[in-house]
Amino acid sequence: MAVELSEGAIEALIKGNEVTNPVLQLINIRKLDSGNGPVRFRLMMSDGLHTMSSFMLATPLNSLAEQNLVAPNCVCLLKKSVTNVLKDGRTVVIILDLEVIKPADQMAGKIGDPTPYVEGQSKAPQSVPALPPAPSASSARPLQPKNGGGMNRGSSRDFGKKPLTAPSTPGGTSKVVPIASLNPYQSKWTIRARVTNKSSIRTWSNSRGDGKLFSMEIVDESGEIRVTGFNQEVDKFYSLIEQGKVYYISKGTLKIANKQFTSLKNDYEMTLNGDSSIIPCDDAHDVPMVQCDFVSIADLDARDKDAIVDVIGVCKSVEDVTRITTKNSREVSKRNIQLMDMSGKLIQVTMWGNEAETFDGTGQPILAIKGAKLSDFGGRSLSTLYSSTLMINPDIPEAYKLRGWYDKEGHALDGQSMTEMRGGGGGGPTNWKTLADVKNEHLGHGDKADYFTCIATIVYMRKENSLYQACPSKDCNKKVVDQQNGLYRCEKCDKEFPDFKYRLMLSANIADFADNQWVMCFQDSAEAILGQKSDYIGQLKDSNEAAFDEVFQHANFSTFVFRNRVKLETYNDESRIKVTVMEAKPVDHKEYSKRLIMNIRKHAAN
Amino acid sequence: MTGVFEAPKTRINASMLSQYVSRPVCFIGRVGKVHPSGKSFTLTDGEGKNASVELNDPLEEELSGIVEVIGMVSNKGTIMAAVYNMFREEKGISFDLELYNEALKVLHDFPQYYPFEVSSSG
Repeated sequence: MAVELSEGAIEALIKGNEVTNPVLQLINIRKLDSGNGPVRFRLMMSDGLHTMSSFMLATPLNSLAEQNLVAPNCVCLLKKSVTNVLKDGRTVVIILDLEVIKPADQMAGKIGDPTPYVEGQSKAPQSVPALPPAPSASSARPLQPKNGGGMNRGSSRDFGKKPLTAPSTPGGTSKVVPIASLNPYQSKWTIRARVTNKSSIRTWSNSRGDGKLFSMEIVDESGEIRVTGFNQEVDKFYSLIEQGKVYYISKGTLKIANKQFTSLKNDYEMTLNGDSSIIPCDDAHDVPMVQCDFVSIADLDARDKDAIVDVIGVCKSVEDVTRITTKNSREVSKRNIQLMDMSGKLIQVTMWGNEAETFDGTGQPILAIKGAKLSDFGGRSLSTLYSSTLMINPDIPEAYKLRGWYDKEGHALDGQSMTEMRGGGGGGPTNWKTLADVKNEHLGHGDKADYFTCIATIVYMRKENSLYQACPSKDCNKKVVDQQNGLYRCEKCDKEFPDFKYRLMLSANIADFADNQWVMCFQDSAEAILGQKSDYIGQLKDSNEAAFDEVFQHANFSTFVFRNRVKLETYNDESRIKVTVMEAKPVDHKEYSKRLIMNIRKHAAN
Repeated sequence: MTGVFEAPKTRINASMLSQYVSRPVCFIGRVGKVHPSGKSFTLTDGEGKNASVELNDPLEEELSGIVEVIGMVSNKGTIMAAVYNMFREEKGISFDLELYNEALKVLHDFPQYYPFEVSSSG
């Protein structure tokens, strides 16, 4: 019957010391209407020795108060709370989770004779109006339940060393707090965190001027947050920050995170400002490296398209880097790799840009990717983003476990790929068709272009007009106009150049056993077919016609796997099927034989 | 023995040997044991079954890997080789015996579509 209150808990809470599940009695509860924002409840609690009136109920718990479950005299178990120190040094304890262990109607009254807690230097606020509504408005929001435990540990560890006097010292070092406790309503804090990802400097230019920015992702034991610096802060901090190192960071501006740009599990993000400071921290081995929430490759099937996920796997195979041209005619490098994990499943991961160019997959390393984007392209595949972090053979337990598994048994597994498991008839990268199928099934007649893959042999190529003179700028492939004065003009770049680059635009007729088809091959596929680079072919065209012809002769009657895009296009009321080769690959005869045998057996079974 | 080169040579695996006694065949397998005399060796097909190959003249080179043999099947079910050919691994691409065996079965399962088979067996 008798309930014991946790005497001394109030003092400990105010000082920020660790208190595990204190039992407190509610003395009084008040509803605060802040005008805007949600209703908040302010509580006076007693531990039997002291009372303290600056307890706030986190808004998710409001229902407890509204249903009168939390009423004066009831005894509560504080399962999770966080102590915040306001700018003026006063302390507010936010209750994140509580359990009523004795309802009010079962209590006779107040337990013991508690007196208002008075702090050493400053009088603890007793009167309700003294508490500004601002800090209470949503200070409970930044906390994620899963981080609750770690957060309390984090703050108490530091509090153990530093007494409460620290935060009130203007200009002095404020206390180190966990990332999970950061919110826009506190400005006095320092976090100690590891930089897990640092972007390159990006610039922008628009009607309102131009500028530059960089961003980084930082992590501590409580959570992670994205930090962005603009202009002066780029100059001030960019060179200082090294990925993987630990820093003390203070006085950043916090705002609600734009989830469009970040996958981090934090409701806030930080912007560096003129007052911000970043100081390297040497003693940092206890700060975790990266926080990853690895998803098994087999489970990716169940995730939504465009989800941002963390994966770890053995890099089972690596394709070569290819250059592709994006929709806005920018050329980028890309590289596909196959990742396999202990689920025995494989998935294709596409890397871009610098990462694609520098990736070294020799020795089948363990690759962990934080923040990869899941796509439903070809079943399921992953793609790295600007914000993704790639770690090769990371120093984490998952990596060692995976290595051990792979070396022992995983390497012998063939592994079923999540990519190219195409569902239904259409779509997917391996929509095998014969050229007759393409015509009979009227591919490309729909609203959207169709894609198909076929094995066919080149029977004719138009070598006339197969090359054009293109703008020499890196990402521009626009045809240039010969000014007849030694200069070549690009309309798109609005510039004249003394030279140009040759690019291929090859019209070819391909045939399989059933039909033939005119197709258009651009740069990459044409180079693959001709087996030579466009600039070399262009050189031959100008200097050695016999050798130029020879290139085409040599390529004629060779067989490839063509991946094509087909679309009905209309010019001047005339509709024609246009087939563009997206990719031309040499035939993998083993693969081809397997598919043929499988098809024969399938036909025989019907 | 000269007939071997004139008639169509049916591609078979070890389990089909008994049906092709006294007929010219083509057999592909992985070299197993080579007899010390150099006049016979064994080949393992894509199903893991063995066939014995007998030569008129002792081998003059070391035999290993994948070998194609053309010859007559003897009463004992061995292949009296007229000629053999060792497959070299080209550009690291190895010959896939199992896949070859699958293709070979297709040939035998659908003789109507593979007329060589019809003429040689008819």
